Amino acid sequence: MSEDTSPETTGAYHWIGKNVTKPDALEKALGATEYVGDMVVPGMLHAKILWAGAPHGVIRNIDTKDAARVPGVAAVLTASDVPGTNRYGLAVPDQRALADDKVRSAGDALALVAAEDEEAAEEAVAKIKVDLEPLRPILTYEDALDPMAPAIHEGGNVFQHTTVRKGDLEKGIEESDVIVENAYHTHRMDHVPMEPEAGLAYVDPSGVLNILVGTQYPYRDRRQIAPALDLAMNKVRVIQAPIGGGFGRKDDITAEIHVGLLALKTRRPVRLVYTREESLIANTKRHPMAMNFRTGARKDGLLTFLDGDIYGDTGAGVSLGAYVIKKAGIHATGPYDVPNIRVDTYTLYTNNLVSGAMRGFGVMQAAVAHESQMDQLAHRLGMSPLEFRIKNCLKPGLASSTGQLMNEGCGIEATLQRIKDYMSAHDLRFNRPHA
Amino acid sequence: MATRKGLGIGSMYYGIGYGFSRADIGSAEIEMAEDGTTTVYSGACDMGQGVMTVVTQVAAEELGIEPDQIRVVAADTGSTPDAGPTSGSRATFVQGVAVQNAAQELRGQILDMASRMLECPKENLHVRRGEVCETGTDRPLVSVGKVAHQLHFHGRRAAAWGWHDNTTQDVDPETSQGDAYATYGWATQLAEVEVDTETGRIRLTKLVSATDAGKAINPVAVEGQIEGGATMGLGYALYEQHILENGVPRTASLAFYLVPTSMDVPDIECEIVEVPDPRGPFGAKGVAEPATIPTTPAILNAIYDAIGIRITETPITPERVFFAIQEARARGEFEED
Repeated sequence: MSEDTSPETTGAYHWIGKNVTKPDALEKALGATEYVGDMVVPGMLHAKILWAGAPHGVIRNIDTKDAARVPGVAAVLTASDVPGTNRYGLAVPDQRALADDKVRSAGDALALVAAEDEEAAEEAVAKIKVDLEPLRPILTYEDALDPMAPAIHEGGNVFQHTTVRKGDLEKGIEESDVIVENAYHTHRMDHVPMEPEAGLAYVDPSGVLNILVGTQYPYRDRRQIAPALDLAMNKVRVIQAPIGGGFGRKDDITAEIHVGLLALKTRRPVRLVYTREESLIANTKRHPMAMNFRTGARKDGLLTFLDGDIYGDTGAGVSLGAYVIKKAGIHATGPYDVPNIRVDTYTLYTNNLVSGAMRGFGVMQAAVAHESQMDQLAHRLGMSPLEFRIKNCLKPGLASSTGQLMNEGCGIEATLQRIKDYMSAHDLRFNRPHA
Repeated sequence: MATRKGLGIGSMYYGIGYGFSRADIGSAEIEMAEDGTTTVYSGACDMGQGVMTVVTQVAAEELGIEPDQIRVVAADTGSTPDAGPTSGSRATFVQGVAVQNAAQELRGQILDMASRMLECPKENLHVRRGEVCETGTDRPLVSVGKVAHQLHFHGRRAAAWGWHDNTTQDVDPETSQGDAYATYGWATQLAEVEVDTETGRIRLTKLVSATDAGKAINPVAVEGQIEGGATMGLGYALYEQHILENGVPRTASLAFYLVPTSMDVPDIECEIVEVPDPRGPFGAKGVAEPATIPTTPAILNAIYDAIGIRITETPITPERVFFAIQEARARGEFEED
């Protein structure tokens, strides 16, 4: 038998682990990359959107007559001009491409304009008259949980309730020598990708609607665009344009349906580029969450239980919120062995801006709570926060909050050890707990 | 100015991919032209993080050709297969395996044809730097381009399709018990802060990020994720709050919605940890989200370490810290200098 000299054994890879230069790095560094906002095609129209600007109301009328008379305007469209379902949404299709019966958040789109230049489109948007009968907005967790409050969508404002149950909570509480209890609140964050939302659509000679867009998933875009606009899926082509970041918000539909609709109606190429202000108003944000956590440990430093509730504000559309908040729930322990668990999560509709996927996806919020709890327990026990984590962290053979057995790919202890090594190499010490 | 320094750590784990029975697939086609240049049709969107480069390296490693011989066509329903979304820190972990499978299949085709051409058993051949070589001596026998030409000549495309299904079953609806994700990302960060006890202003003065990449396929790209992630985490911790008043945005401009600038970002030490995961390509897993999650808790814990006050609400604005200090003073609990 010859000696095993495969790269898997020797680590002698040719290209894995090498700093191969990204093929697009130079042109991006030189500013030469053409993003959608840089693309110009012959006959192209410019699109603008009328945003609701108010959180909740019944749409009585949208008058577009004056807007349509602005010179250079090719189309002014409202929900009644949408040929398909007008709906989209990643968990459930609860969002409208253009608001029809009601306004459900300030970021709802009410009307679209396509014109020869951006100025004409802006002028037309300013001339659209909206008759909105205001409704009481649902804005807080308490309002959303109130069964007597008006429902934003059919089915009530609690979209989802999930439960994590493991071990015996009462036993965990009894075994605890220290218990720490706190309420944590995290805030709404925007992704602020360098490139705001943008799309360019055209119908090609074979009748296919082509959409160039900074997206995270063209196939799911196609699945959502086709029914919204009543097109066969093979008549829709979505191409990812060079993208200036997404961080989760471009998982969702952004410009796709709007530019697609305008291109279908005008039979001309249409480009839509959001301003930064529009990007901050529209589409998804990071979920604000309220988290009540009670966590216990024994004198010997082992964790005993987690008892928690997580409320997430998903705004006027679920988007991926149901998964974000469910994921927060099953990650609420953090990377530790916690034998006894009760966690409940609630995904709540409000009339705030839609919350969706954002880098960290629920765990960003959960970690604020579980890591604050870990430090407080460590301090109460007089232990170093680092040693307390090393003692409790998941290791191969231990199980996560969902009972999943950890295997050889469990790296938490290695990351803690690396920080420990760094601290000792640089002579860094915590101030607390005081010696 | 009265300032105090503190150190804090934050750890996290993060289920890679989608979970919850949601489709979590990757797929790619790979084709070698008659001159040996190769195209990977990869459905995965590159967000700038570098998955195009990662799949290039994976294909180059498996095929034994140079990365500059590979072009990637990405994320187009008209020309690439469906590879799922680029989100959930899943692109390298899932699409990397799909491309690896496609490249292995194509390598098999090349070695089969080379074996016929050379009248040499396939087991004695391998590909290295674009040449089919004799195993053992590494003696080049024929270029992959010539072999690909023969494949095309015989009506074969020198092409392969590879896929990978990373879908995991949803957890139990009552207890959430079950194998929720195929694998998890792991990370710990150490933050050093300076708290101005007169104004409440927090400065992040140092950040060390120990992030498990499984195997860093492209270490500089991993460092990019770590530095970008920490910077985004810093923004979440201290600055970026989108304020709504009665449901109406009041911070719909970067004049009011504050993002970190280069002046706010300290030295970030990238400690790439490699605990290989057998389910990822060459042991790799995603780092995008693990690199951002620990920053805010590390800063919160560092503030406590500095001033003995626990902030439980984000973002950690100077006002919030200032009033927390005032309240602690009023209770006689603030540790005065």
